[in-house]
Amino acid sequence: MALLRPLDKLPTLDVATILLLGAEETPLEQLGTAIIKECEGTAKVQVHVASCLPLPTDRECFRPRIDLIVFVLSLHSKYSLRTVEASLPHVDARFFLGKVCFLVTGVRKEPNTSIHMDAVRKMATAYHSPLLFGDLEVECFRASVAQRLIQILQICAGHVPGLSALNLLSMMKPCLELTMQET
Amino acid sequence: MSTREADLSPVIPIIQTNPLAWKMRQITSGFVPLNWKYGQNDKEELEYAEYNESEALCRALEHIRMVKEKGSVEERHLRTVEDIAWKSGLAPEDIDTLLDVVLSGPFAEAVKNRMLKCLIPATLIPESAVVRAFSRLCASNCSNNTKVLFCRWLIAMFDFIDGKEDMNSLYGFFFSFLQEETMSCYICNLLYLLTKRENVKPFRVRKLLELQSKVGMQPYLQALLSLYKSFCPNLITISLPPKRKFYFKTTDSIWQAAVYIVKERNHKSLLPSVKLTIGTAYSHPRKKKWNSGCIIPVPTSSHISKEEQDKEGGSSSLDVMLSGHKSFPLEQLHTFSQLLDNIQNIELPSQMCSVLKSAPLLHYLNCIQDETVWLRLYYWMSQELKEGCTWCKVSNYTSEEEFRKFLDIIISAQCFLQEGFPSSEAFLYKSLPLWDGVSCRAEYLQLLSWIPLGNFSEIKPLLCDSLTQLFFTSSIYHKCSVLYSLKQLLQNWLLWHAMEVSVKPTRSTSADTPMIALNSVSELISYVGWLSTIALRLESNSSFLLHFILDFFETVSDMYLNYNLPLVMMFPRGVFYPALLTSDTIALNHLCYIMYRYRVNLTAAKENELIRQERLKFNKTYQEFNEYVTALVDCLWTSTSFEKDHYLYIDPQILEKTKIREYKRSLNLINHPALLPYSIYFLLQGWPAEKELSLSSIQEHLEDLIISRQSSAIWILHRTSSTTVASTFDKCMSPCCMS
Repeated sequence: MALLRPLDKLPTLDVATILLLGAEETPLEQLGTAIIKECEGTAKVQVHVASCLPLPTDRECFRPRIDLIVFVLSLHSKYSLRTVEASLPHVDARFFLGKVCFLVTGVRKEPNTSIHMDAVRKMATAYHSPLLFGDLEVECFRASVAQRLIQILQICAGHVPGLSALNLLSMMKPCLELTMQET
Repeated sequence: MSTREADLSPVIPIIQTNPLAWKMRQITSGFVPLNWKYGQNDKEELEYAEYNESEALCRALEHIRMVKEKGSVEERHLRTVEDIAWKSGLAPEDIDTLLDVVLSGPFAEAVKNRMLKCLIPATLIPESAVVRAFSRLCASNCSNNTKVLFCRWLIAMFDFIDGKEDMNSLYGFFFSFLQEETMSCYICNLLYLLTKRENVKPFRVRKLLELQSKVGMQPYLQALLSLYKSFCPNLITISLPPKRKFYFKTTDSIWQAAVYIVKERNHKSLLPSVKLTIGTAYSHPRKKKWNSGCIIPVPTSSHISKEEQDKEGGSSSLDVMLSGHKSFPLEQLHTFSQLLDNIQNIELPSQMCSVLKSAPLLHYLNCIQDETVWLRLYYWMSQELKEGCTWCKVSNYTSEEEFRKFLDIIISAQCFLQEGFPSSEAFLYKSLPLWDGVSCRAEYLQLLSWIPLGNFSEIKPLLCDSLTQLFFTSSIYHKCSVLYSLKQLLQNWLLWHAMEVSVKPTRSTSADTPMIALNSVSELISYVGWLSTIALRLESNSSFLLHFILDFFETVSDMYLNYNLPLVMMFPRGVFYPALLTSDTIALNHLCYIMYRYRVNLTAAKENELIRQERLKFNKTYQEFNEYVTALVDCLWTSTSFEKDHYLYIDPQILEKTKIREYKRSLNLINHPALLPYSIYFLLQGWPAEKELSLSSIQEHLEDLIISRQSSAIWILHRTSSTTVASTFDKCMSPCCMS
């Protein structure tokens, strides 16, 4: 089946899986290594890396349930944006209830961006998913991005009692009025 | 560049690696036997050779000065001069002579250019020589190429000129040369090095802008305009593109090696310090590299004071002479009393940023009426913050450490002045979405606590959205740091409000209370309450986090009495109940203290007019408080929290399955997990002989004591358990329901 669905497989106990999707392979692999290094000792984390969707069907049965998809784009490469846009239709709508996030790199080298920041922001708002900024080239920034992704992953995989992915999403989105919130 | 050089002197080929320079290096490094040129191969005859050399130089210069045209004799003399210049440099008087000859002599252009190229100083270049040469340049009929070469020479040797005051007074003349196309970029470079704040005048700005409209935004024009803007931002209203690293070519190829060698040589021999009277910092080699901006210089005076003038015998600046008073030299301003004595004579330094490190100058800044001073400071600060921010931009010249120190300086200045700078606020809003949550965390979050008091609904979209996103996706330490900064922000707002109220003459709180402060503070508190509730859920009621949250609400509870703000707000349920049912003694203690402070504040607030008028709004607060106190007492004292209609009601059948025998009393003062150590301590103190300790025996012991001596039981309770918990009960046991 072409669509990637969030709930069509049973979860593995104490394991969380993250899928990193982006055009360039090296930064994704480096990020994956950083993620695994950051969460040593706590629940096991599996990192899958892909360059586009749909994922190949021959290994479908060996693949675990995916808890969080991270789309990685670079502000300097239109190709990365196009890859992400091409992969988005292959994701089931229920994933966008908190299990997807966009990661934008290359903000630090601001002057020569080929993609405007607004285009990325509009895409994140249209798909109702959080937008993170990070630089994957420098090690310390990569480590902090990895830490943040692990926090989100723990919630999406259901390892935090009392909080679901949708809950987190509704808290991170600014459109909700604070005065109406039940404290 | 190279074609130009070829045009200048077809006779002498100019190549990057000048053989003369190479020879110079060789000689100074000592590898080649000295004076082989003069046929002396013996080292012992060195002194004689040197004497011979200077004599040769004198003769050569004499001859050149006298002669009318170039012949073979002159060629030999010229070569002597060149050699000596490249080998050991020319003395100041010789430079003077040579400059004279170059700019007014009858030689051909090629010869003149040759002479200019060999003008390498041994130590210093006298300013008078430069001034005289420049005046000859203006008056005489030199070719364009000579003029350009002279400018280039000036730029290359700028650091060796021993004073810049006279040159600065000729600023207008230098400026007029901007018209000439060939010279404009070098003149811009020269002006860039010479400019002081007094030179920035509106008509000059207009001229530059005219020039810019003719030739477009050239980098050299951009450099000069940026410099003008940093001195007087009010004069230049156009927006300039961001700073570049290099505006001008670093050093001219002709003199590159020579300059380096002379600098090295001078560094080795102790030179008399070149007194820079310009108010700029001496740590700026502006020609070479763009200023590593995070270095804040020591404040220096922009004018020489009268005593120094008399000492030097140099010409004083016109302004000082006209104004007739001497300005206090800023280097000596260290204490407040000095400031008070000399407050009439303080002139602010040209480098505004240097005030940030000096406490008396900050005091002074607070008093003056001139708004442009603040504009200058804010402009410089916003530029530096933008350039130096390590996560917004790849900056090659600031590391995280330097940026952290820079932020520290800004924060201590804000703390000293007790008010926030708008440029740091703007920087915070711009850089927060891009922040990774880790770099410079402590300093960056302190910027958060200096946001000026304003409409919270305006601040919210800029600040809260990115802060929230970061807050929920980061570690517990980050969350605690953010909560701490928000507490300080609240305190600052409350202090500013309290100050405003005390300054205003009327004490009536109904109409004059600034509503903005009230609304903003209440919105901030509800925002933090919301953040705390979710944070506790995310971190599963960690006591470390609870400590910071309760700290915040301790400030909130005393708002009415301490800061005179007619507002009492309760904390949310999501904070109260986890704190009540915690297993951490300190958290429970803190909670009880906060409840006590709330009670005091609420009782006092009943007298307040405004609150009486707005009964409907504040009723909710009183109801919430009643609910919390009832829950507290139920839990800790009367042990009725598990009964029907109370907050912890759970179906008894389910509770029986837990197999806890006395679940009803499991959360009271004696059995509460947080107070367990105190119960045991009580038993050990009162009945040390007993071998079996059981908590239920406390109850029996207490009942016995209560029958016999009621007061002493309370006294024992006071002594052994946490005093505030006990005192809360004392006070809460008195009629506590209010409406």
